[in-house]
Amino acid sequence: MKSKRHKAPSQFVAVASIASELSAVMEVAKEISLAAANAKAIAFRAGEKARGFQPITDFINELAKETIELINDFNGHALTFYQLTVNEHKISEAHSQLEKANKLAFGAQYASSLIVPMDGVKLRMQDCRRQFKGHVIKLLDQLETVMHPARAARVIAANSRIEASQAGEYLQSLQAVAESVDKAAQVIHDNVQRCRSLLSIIVTV
Amino acid sequence: MKMTKIYEGPYQWIMFGRDENKPGNIIDSNQYMVRTANRCLIMDPGGIELFAPMLAAVMHHAPVDQITDLFASHQDPDIISSLGLWDQAVPNAKLHAAALWEGFIRHFGCNSIEYVGIPDSGGTIKLDNAELQIIPAHYLHSSVNFHIYDPQAKILMSGDVGAALEGPGVPMFVDKFDSHVEKMRFFHQRWMPSNQAKRVWIDRVRMLDIDILAPQHGRMFKGDDVKRFLDWFESLQVGIAV
Repeated sequence: MKSKRHKAPSQFVAVASIASELSAVMEVAKEISLAAANAKAIAFRAGEKARGFQPITDFINELAKETIELINDFNGHALTFYQLTVNEHKISEAHSQLEKANKLAFGAQYASSLIVPMDGVKLRMQDCRRQFKGHVIKLLDQLETVMHPARAARVIAANSRIEASQAGEYLQSLQAVAESVDKAAQVIHDNVQRCRSLLSIIVTV
Repeated sequence: MKMTKIYEGPYQWIMFGRDENKPGNIIDSNQYMVRTANRCLIMDPGGIELFAPMLAAVMHHAPVDQITDLFASHQDPDIISSLGLWDQAVPNAKLHAAALWEGFIRHFGCNSIEYVGIPDSGGTIKLDNAELQIIPAHYLHSSVNFHIYDPQAKILMSGDVGAALEGPGVPMFVDKFDSHVEKMRFFHQRWMPSNQAKRVWIDRVRMLDIDILAPQHGRMFKGDDVKRFLDWFESLQVGIAV
């Protein structure tokens, strides 16, 4: 009984933490998008010296856009997830209270009539838990998808460094772009990883 | 949870209260039920903490599928915060509560139970052979507030009007009105905001034939104590905090 009572608050905290982590990912993705625009301007000014860098800036921009879209899509599912958490909490509480009432009603003339609502609530609770777990698995898959552009961004950052080394006086500016993309990709990776851990905690609570 | 039958006729009125196991830091409350042949109306069913003992107590009088109606005199948590649990236990029931409070009361959880909004003018609730009148009691203390009057049983369920703040385990009925007054004074002066609303309610209630005045907290009033209470309340200045 005790573990049930502790489960809901930890779920709510985990869901809120996921929302917060993803909001940070969104901000970082926007920063990457800005870095891409900045890099494009530098590469344009550098002309021939940064010829190899120009297509990379388009890649960076695409990756940022893709991440933003994935997070937006994920947020819609996260809202459903939150509603499922609330429902599960309500139904579990009702189930626990009906069990309590059933014990207190021992010996009462109509105590047996509680069996029907108790069974109904139990079924709804089981159904809600099934939906809940199914949703967690779906969200874990989605988070894996969000990781793809982050991994790709790190590869691109490495390529950017190579291209930047041939850009003469633009070397420092372009290296700074590569660094910021690399750092942002790392942040996204870490935040998403934390979301995955939180979801795993929810499943195992 | 103690149970007291306060009317036995073609149907019954039962009062529930004085729950010995309730947490000490929540206010004690009285719940009332009208039980007819096939239906039950629970008035001010109580807060979340009270749900299980209340439902268990009802099981001594009626099966759960005959709990067909709930009534909330107003929107306070000690009145109806258990709604989300009743919603799971008796999903086909109706909740009779102020139309103006609907969006607020639904915060307690009302997905399956049908919310029957009561207009400001009041109305009636018909349960088999019992016809109960919904009496407006606005601003006593809630801005939209109702009481239930049963002309057959001559009982007025008066919500917070007549309430007293007392320790646990007090008797069900007022025995010495004069000493009981001090247990009601602060509650009525502080919780009831309007002398005008009070006068309108007293005029309305004086026209009713009442044997028992049944508040949501404390003791009930019987016989001559009903008139004594109305006289005392009429002379009391309320809304003292401004």
